[in-house]
Amino acid sequence: MKTAFIIFKKELLDTLRDRRTLISMIVIPLLIFPLLIGISSRFIISHVQTAQEKNLRIGLQTSSNAEEFKSMLLQANKVQVMENLTAESGRSLIESDSLEAFIAFARDFDEQVEKLHSGNVTLYYKSTEKNDIEKQRVLEILKEYEMKLRINRFKKLNIDESTINPMKINEWNLASMKERIAEVVGGLLPYLIIIFCFMGTMYPAIDLAAGEKERGTLETILTSPANRMQILLGKFCVVVLIGIAAAIVSMIGVYVGIIQMKEIPSELLKTILGILQFRSIILLLSMLLPLTVFFAAVLLSLSFYAKSFKEAQSIISPMMIIIIVPAFIGLMPGMTLNTITALIPVLNVSLATKAIIAESASTLLLAEVYLSSIFIAGISLYICTKIFDRESTIFRGT
Amino acid sequence: MIIVHELRKTFILDRQHQKELRAGKSDRAINAVAGINFTCKPGRVFTLLGPNGAGKTTTLRMIATILRPTAGTISVAGFDVVKRPQEVRRRIGFLTGTTKLYERLTPHELVKYYADLHNLDKELFKKRKDEIFTLLGINEFANRRIGKLSSGMRQKVSIARTIIHDPEVIIFDEPTIGLDIITARHIIDLIRSCKNSGKTVIFSTHIMGEVSLLSDDLAIIHNGKLCYNDSYENFRNSMKQNSLEEEFIRLVEEVKQ
Repeated sequence: MKTAFIIFKKELLDTLRDRRTLISMIVIPLLIFPLLIGISSRFIISHVQTAQEKNLRIGLQTSSNAEEFKSMLLQANKVQVMENLTAESGRSLIESDSLEAFIAFARDFDEQVEKLHSGNVTLYYKSTEKNDIEKQRVLEILKEYEMKLRINRFKKLNIDESTINPMKINEWNLASMKERIAEVVGGLLPYLIIIFCFMGTMYPAIDLAAGEKERGTLETILTSPANRMQILLGKFCVVVLIGIAAAIVSMIGVYVGIIQMKEIPSELLKTILGILQFRSIILLLSMLLPLTVFFAAVLLSLSFYAKSFKEAQSIISPMMIIIIVPAFIGLMPGMTLNTITALIPVLNVSLATKAIIAESASTLLLAEVYLSSIFIAGISLYICTKIFDRESTIFRGT
Repeated sequence: MIIVHELRKTFILDRQHQKELRAGKSDRAINAVAGINFTCKPGRVFTLLGPNGAGKTTTLRMIATILRPTAGTISVAGFDVVKRPQEVRRRIGFLTGTTKLYERLTPHELVKYYADLHNLDKELFKKRKDEIFTLLGINEFANRRIGKLSSGMRQKVSIARTIIHDPEVIIFDEPTIGLDIITARHIIDLIRSCKNSGKTVIFSTHIMGEVSLLSDDLAIIHNGKLCYNDSYENFRNSMKQNSLEEEFIRLVEEVKQ
């Protein structure tokens, strides 16, 4: 153990002096998360504010009907009305972005409404977005007008509103704020942490295995009294430590990113910060440990196989996709931790993290995740020791 | 003392090597070392001379326990390299011309690292380090990163790393390859001083000048087989050609036929 610790100390010192490792472990997660969260939230908020405060230019084809609607439009906040347009001119004004919406009432609209039929109204707009705020603002006014017509109709027919609506649905979402946030953030957080943990282990693993082979320093350590198991253990512990550190730093990055958001409602901020409690962080880290062991063992095995730093990078890069796919599946709505998903590497940690954040994790399933992760980590570590012990791997290409 | 008996090493070729060597499908294995015997005695320099690819590095790597012999035995300082590899490694120093150093460490940190691996206590390390660093003139750059040192300075650090634990057997694998004359001279001086202090020294080379300068005993290796193994003095006395080079070529050609 003493020899392995000597190797660990030296490898750690060597790794911490490597600029590439420091950048991937500290600089990127600490800068990227606050920047990503800050820029994207500011962009979304300013986009929503602009759309809500924009002076809407609405074209109207009413003929002589729907006068009431026209007055409603004129009373609405930040709306500018252009009247007496034809269908063609209205459409061309929308196409040239001179109008946000064009509403055409059918010539017989009032007549149809009077006869207790449906009057036709056509709404023209230009949008590629699913949730277009400007369109929603116009639709709200139209719905309000529809409601007014409906109430008038009920009065005219002397019917009570409840006669028409036999059922009144009352919605009660009992999911806590934490659970609702967990569905959105809970998937994203492990996704990001897993990727940064993988990236954190990648550079030291390549440097300590393929890099050492390429630089020709491996031979000297192989002729020292340290045996191969001790050498591997020393290197392996450094890779795991750096991977965990990268995951912690990325969590700090997320935290910094969230608290710097001034626009976030205080209640939401309180809930999110409540998620990042000491207990959940410890649980998350304990979940990440076997996963990092798995990453470190796989990456070291591939790096020992590679002849050079460059070859190791080209072998390992496709691994990123193998890691991203299960982590990404964990992001999908409806994906939950069950007895089967608890056995799938990476996906199980992603889903377990989601469950930990939502505080809905079952102890049995978490135990299954731990056991399967430890089992896979153990197997990958065993394979790694076998690979490091093979002359044909260590001296491949020499 | 190093005793090599009927040593063999067979490598299984991968597809790329098979292609490079134009080996047929049945020639998947290559005998890098094919049953060699020799003994290196304390206080003498044993030279392993041979062209590139003759099996010198493979032999030295087996002695240093980096490679495992396919057959035969090697005893280093009384320990078998297969049965007691750790005991062997405690007693050897291994230096090659191609070996590099950890560039992000300082000479002090690097030498301390190897001293720790050899379990040297603090006082002994300090004493040995002071002696070696003064002898080789390392003190002035002892705390600079190795990556910023010249090749000559690096080779001095390599020497310090090799001998910090005062090994009884020292293995030099083409130690002067690619070095300038002054740096190569440091290595030659080191080999001489190791011999004078009673250590067992084995070194491989393909440079004839070094053979005449250092050898007490000589073995010539070609295609994994020894074509000469005796004292250097006997070699010189039995030469059928005028120069060392010509005699070496004659012996190699003789084996080929």
